[in-house]
Amino acid sequence: MEQQESGADAGWMAAWQPVIDRIGTEMGDGEAHYALDRVERALIRRYLEPLEFDCPLHYDAEAARAHGFADVTAPYTAAATFAMQPVWRPGETLFTSAERDAQPARVSVKPRFPDGTPPVTGYFATDIETEYLRPVLAGERLGRRGNRLVACTPKETKVGRGAFVTFETETVDEQGEVVARMRASLFLYNPHPDATAERKA
Amino acid sequence: MSGASATQRHWEDAAVGDVLGPLEFPLSVYRLVVAAASNRDFNSIHHNSEFAKASGAPEMYANTSFLQGMWERVLRDYMGLGGTLRKLSGFRMNSFNCAGETVVVKGEVVRTWRDGDNGLAEVRMWSENAGRVSVGPGLATITLPLRGSDA
Repeated sequence: MEQQESGADAGWMAAWQPVIDRIGTEMGDGEAHYALDRVERALIRRYLEPLEFDCPLHYDAEAARAHGFADVTAPYTAAATFAMQPVWRPGETLFTSAERDAQPARVSVKPRFPDGTPPVTGYFATDIETEYLRPVLAGERLGRRGNRLVACTPKETKVGRGAFVTFETETVDEQGEVVARMRASLFLYNPHPDATAERKA
Repeated sequence: MSGASATQRHWEDAAVGDVLGPLEFPLSVYRLVVAAASNRDFNSIHHNSEFAKASGAPEMYANTSFLQGMWERVLRDYMGLGGTLRKLSGFRMNSFNCAGETVVVKGEVVRTWRDGDNGLAEVRMWSENAGRVSVGPGLATITLPLRGSDA
């Protein structure tokens, strides 16, 4: 729950001002950053597994062709997955600790935080809005382009103090054509020392 | 299901008030691990209880892509193989969907309209968990084939 801040306690909110000052700016380099792997049939099929998503468009090429597609299509919601960077690249050393909860040296799914972000230890996605311009087919390669900061709202929630930060990104094909546009909000935060409660956006 | 392989629904068949779901997704640790492996979201909050609890969550919890996929599966069951998903908005994760819980996805058609040769519908979607809305409510914009267009 949001709380009123006063005195020295309000300092944590002021720490987000450098990010607020960057609202409207492009945080990326403007280039499309492509996934190493193409959208493969096997990867599509595996995306279906935890969902028990029994749609022939995604695993039966004949069914897909009967509906006008050259090959099986990926679920729309898989576009972001197929544009991800790899967990590991040749030459990298990621796993250097046997500590139970040790994190790799580079976390592939960690979003780039805006310049000026104060130190935070936690983050999670809160809101997603995605426009899908077309289905993605097996054999394509996808990438992500852009990372425009569109909002930053400091807030204290049940899980900790931080800020809701919103970005806009595009998923593009090899020709640079946009296949999906996404606006995503993250809560970047430091957990309360005794935080066990459910998060409240 | 698979409703997606059943008889194709046409735009003319869609009506405001049509109900989607409910469809249950029981969340075991096993299933969350399979989900992380499938959608490549290896953030430890989604497969490591201790890590998730240290972040303020009560348990490891379902990741964004998995939760979005639940909505897509329910939408696909409704719109059939000839339908398309144009947009998901209001996909707001209000509370955690943790291991040991069951997510129930529901929807309702709230608008239908024509745009030239396209038959469109807007579907209000939400996920429930322990009787409360844990994701959404949001809106999905879908297309359905017009009768005769897929002959």
